Amino acid sequence: MSSLFGSSSSATPQTSEEIKAAVVRQLQTEAAMSNARSLIGKVNKHCFQACVPTPGTSLSAKENTCLSSCMEKYIAMWNVTSRTYITRVGTETKRLGGQDAAAIASMATGQPEGGSGILG
Amino acid sequence: METQLDLTKLSENDKKELNQVLNNEAQKGNIQQTVHHLNEVCWQKCITSKITSGTLDKSEEACAQNCVDRWMDTSLSILQKLENMRGH
Repeated sequence: MSSLFGSSSSATPQTSEEIKAAVVRQLQTEAAMSNARSLIGKVNKHCFQACVPTPGTSLSAKENTCLSSCMEKYIAMWNVTSRTYITRVGTETKRLGGQDAAAIASMATGQPEGGSGILG
Repeated sequence: METQLDLTKLSENDKKELNQVLNNEAQKGNIQQTVHHLNEVCWQKCITSKITSGTLDKSEEACAQNCVDRWMDTSLSILQKLENMRGH
């Protein structure tokens, strides 16, 4: 585990500065992992649905090609969605006089609570 | 995780800074989760034909943008309606 995504330094952080840096690093690693996990799950779900309508004894070459395209397409769309959403949130936050529109919108996702689990 | 961190050794200043970083990461995570949700909804609405390429064509991209904006319209409208109901 520690060799795969762990911190590069093996010495135990001692000073306040070192501990802070270690916590930040761990936090960012976990956030990135959480984001990747969400993406992998969604790509798997939607590309399986789109590319493997009737599962055979193995993935065909055609299905494999479809999966590659699908994955690229899903990520391309993720970037468009992200850009559009962030722009819109900026506009709405301004319109609402500084109220965080992203926090408001996240209520409509039906997810239990935001924060993607970093805060435990 | 891999190393035991003694948080009691943190200075007040570093604690404050860490708190700020934590809040920022939480907000970022929140936005990312919403984007994941939105992308899923819009994928289902906008990618309806067979997948033949790894890029979005013009109409798919336009659909994705409209989808996000109309979803925002919808959620803001619903929250507004709920807010109005609460006031009566």
